[in-house]
Formats: sequence, C-alpha cells, structure tokens
Amino acid sequence: MRLLKRYKTYILPSFIFLMLLWGSAIITQVELHTLFAGIPRGVNLLLSMFPPDLSVMPELLYPALETVQIAFVGTVLGICIALFVGMFAASNVNKNRILREITRGLLSAERALPDLIVLLFFVTIVGLGAFPGVMGLAFSSLGMLGKLFADAIEEIDPRPSEAIAAVGATRLQIIRFAILPQVWPSLIANSLFRFEINIRASIFLGVVGAGGIGFNLIMHMRQLEYQQAMSAILVILFMVVICERISDVLRKRIIGAEVLK
Amino acid sequence: MSYSLFDLDQSTKNLKQKKNKLYTPIFRRILLPGIVLMLALGWSVFALRIRPGHFFDGLPHFFNLVSEMFPPNWEVLTRGRVLFSVLEVLSMAFLGTFIGGLCAFLLALPASGSLSQSGSIRAFFKGILAFERSIPSLIIALLLIVVIGLGPFTGLVTVAIGSIGMLGKMFGDAIENVDPKPLESLKSTGATKIQIIRYAVLPQVIPSFIANTLFRFDINLRVALFLGVIGGGGIGFEIHLAMSLFRYADALAITALTLTVIWFAEKVSDYLRKKIIGKEILQ
Repeated sequence: MRLLKRYKTYILPSFIFLMLLWGSAIITQVELHTLFAGIPRGVNLLLSMFPPDLSVMPELLYPALETVQIAFVGTVLGICIALFVGMFAASNVNKNRILREITRGLLSAERALPDLIVLLFFVTIVGLGAFPGVMGLAFSSLGMLGKLFADAIEEIDPRPSEAIAAVGATRLQIIRFAILPQVWPSLIANSLFRFEINIRASIFLGVVGAGGIGFNLIMHMRQLEYQQAMSAILVILFMVVICERISDVLRKRIIGAEVLK
Repeated sequence: MSYSLFDLDQSTKNLKQKKNKLYTPIFRRILLPGIVLMLALGWSVFALRIRPGHFFDGLPHFFNLVSEMFPPNWEVLTRGRVLFSVLEVLSMAFLGTFIGGLCAFLLALPASGSLSQSGSIRAFFKGILAFERSIPSLIIALLLIVVIGLGPFTGLVTVAIGSIGMLGKMFGDAIENVDPKPLESLKSTGATKIQIIRYAVLPQVIPSFIANTLFRFDINLRVALFLGVIGGGGIGFEIHLAMSLFRYADALAITALTLTVIWFAEKVSDYLRKKIIGKEILQ
C-alpha cells in the first residue's frame, strides 16, 4: 500500500517528467556535439568582436535614443489608457457589474496575447517607423497595467471616498481627492516596472522593422561586422543598465517620499 | 484662561512656517517632476515624428487587414511544419526552463549568505547573476546563432541562458530566507555541506523554486515565440513569415492555434503550481 502511494506521488510524476524532457530534447534536436563544436567558434566570435569598433558610436547614439523614446512614449500612452480602463475594472469606482466583468475579461485576454503578435499586428497596420512601435508597446502594456491599477484601486481605504461623497463630491472629485492620492505610489511603481519591460521589447522592435537600436545590431550581425556589432551590444547594455538604475532611484525616491508622508 | 499676545504671535509664526512647508514640497514633488516629464514626453514625440493623423491614416488599412484575415485559412494547420513548430516552441520553453533552472540553482547556492561564508565569493556569484539579468535575450540569441547555427536548438540554449539570471536571483533570495535553525542543528551533528543542502535547505525552498520556475516557463513561452522571428525555430517564424508575405488568413489561423496552445500550457502550469505548492504546505 505504501509502495503504491509512493509510486503515485513520486515515481509516476518523475517518470512522466523525464519522458517529457526526453521528448523535448528530440523535438528541439539537441545535439551536444554541436554545442561542443560551437565552443571554439564562440571563442573565435568573441575574439573577432574585440576591440569593438567605436567609430560607429555616433551612428548608434540616435537609434539608441530612439529606442528609449519609443519605450517612454509607449509606456506613458499605455499608462493613460490603463488608468482609464482600470477605473472601469475596479469594483469601488464602477458599480455596474456587467461592464466591470467585460472590462476585466478584455484585460485578461490582452494579457494572454503574446507581445510579439501585438507588435507584428501594429507594424502591419501602421507601417514601418516609430509609431507602430509606440502603439504596440502601449497596447501590450495595457493588459498588465490595467489589471494592476484596478487591483490597487480596489484595495484602497474606502473611508476618505465615503467621507467626501457624504459632503456631496462628484464622481470626478472622489477620484481626484480620495482615490488617486492613495493609489499614486503603487501606480508609479508598476509603471516603472513596465517601463523596464518595454525597454527590452523596444530593442526587439528594431528586428521587426519599427526602428531603434535593435535594427543596427541585427544588421551588423548579418553583415558579419562583428566589431561594429560589439559596439551596438555595448550601447544596448549601457542603455538597459542606466534605465534600470534611473527607474530604481525614482521608485525609491517617490515611494519613500509617499510612505513618509 | 486667556491667550497672551505672545501665544498669538507664536501661532501665526507656526502657521507661516507651515505654509512655507506646504508650498515648497508641492513645487519640488509635483510641479517640477511634472514639468520634466512633460518636456521629456514632448521632446520624444517631436523626435519620433509621431502624428495622431498617422493612426487615422492607418485605419482603412486596419479594416482591410481584418477583412482579409477572415475567414482564417485553417488548411494551413494541416501542413506538418506548422503543428511541429508549435511543439518546438513548447519544447524549447519546457526544456530551456528546466536547464536554466538547474544552472540557476547551482549558481544560487554560492550566491546566498546562509550557505557560503566568504563574502567575496558571494559577491562574485551575485554579480554574475545580476549581469546576466541585464542582457536582453535578443543579444544572446544573435550570438548563439553564429555559434550553433539556426534552428530550435539555438532557441533552447537562448531560453536556458536567459532564465538563469532571474531564476538565480529568486532562488538566492529564497535560500537566504530559510529558517536557519535546521541548518545549525544539522551542522552541529557534523553533516557535510551536501547533506545540509539536501535535508535542511531543499525541503524549505522547493515550493518557492517550483512556483518561480513555472512563472518563468510562462515568460519563456513568449520568449520562444520571439526567437522564431530571428531564426531560433518555432512558430514565431511562421507567423512572421505569413504576415510579411501578406497571407493574413494564414497568419490568423496560426495565431489562433498558438494562442490556444499557450493558453492551455498556462492553465497546466497554474494547475501544477496550485497542486504542488498546496501539497508542500500541507506536509
């Protein structure tokens, strides 16, 4: 009996798990000798990347800036829409249950949609350039931010809004003076988090033709200009780290200040 | 009791101070950041040459696109290549997460304070994990394509390497937060390091490990989709191809299939998370 229980809880799941691993290895054509054969090639690649060709830096700075700008504008646009939609999805702002459930359903459907599909879709509609990137990032931020905002709004202390509703405040005044001050810190923290995700997505946008530094990187790699590609990699790493630092500092400052109040 | 003139003077002074205190923070905390944000936004919009008109120019194109997408061309799914590509994405994410998690675990052990005594070793491994976390998967994939070549195996290795940084940090945090008492009692009975890890650390951290790994699996499904576009194998390539060849009806059918499979995989991972963590907590 004990053996059977043991079989059911440990041996059978492990067996299935191992079989799945094995099957995945076959499907993805795992060949360890390719990997080992790749090691000298990898060393060669890294050697041919050094020293990075810094003379292309001036050409890289503008696309790098463009990448940050796309992420920034996309995030801000996403925040504006998500804030509006989040209000509709929060039970203490929107009393209409059917409308609320529909909004929540749409938000979770958007979250399930992979960013790649959203971005490809917008590139196809709006054409190449920065604008489809901005729209795509805004739309793909909407699902996550809308849900997080709605949850933050639902968790607020209801007393301030009841108090000012009792003295005859309008719906807009309640949102402005009782709800926004309470959700402000979590809203900013979530937005900064999404900005960090969008920076990475924005690098990828260059690959599907929406401008930015990703395009320069993939172009240099394809033309086998490894020293130039290394410069692009350095610029990207620098950009990502700086943006993360800035958003870290801002998050600490803003949330710290709000908590102290 | 009566208020003296001095008291009144004092209270107006306080009021004035309060007033000053009230106004400077408003400028420093709301007005100044607001102005900076607006300027940055305006500059970006100007530099990117975004016009709202662009959007309305695209609208007719949008309706065209939608009308061309319907009805979706389901026949494309009967092509063996497409179904196999979906399996490729699933396998890449599954095996990649597993291998990445394994490497992350091995790196997290020396990076956490409760197991490694030497501060410099800890800082070194923490540094590796932090550095790895900030490398975008795109760079890893492009380098690996040169090293290994095109194909799903490249995607697999990219997914694995890309998971190490995040999982390593999460595992390290979990290991640092374990209850130190079982560790100390094992140590006092003369257990080796491996025995301590096996009997005192692992039982405490396994639920959080599994939850984090399953979370990363969800992310990796999406990463694996992206990799198809740059030649890492998988269904992302088919979607990108269909879109760029203007075969929108094919694209919609493939997208629908992909969404269903991803949705299903996420449900399974949700179910497993609940089942395994629930069981561990009950123990």
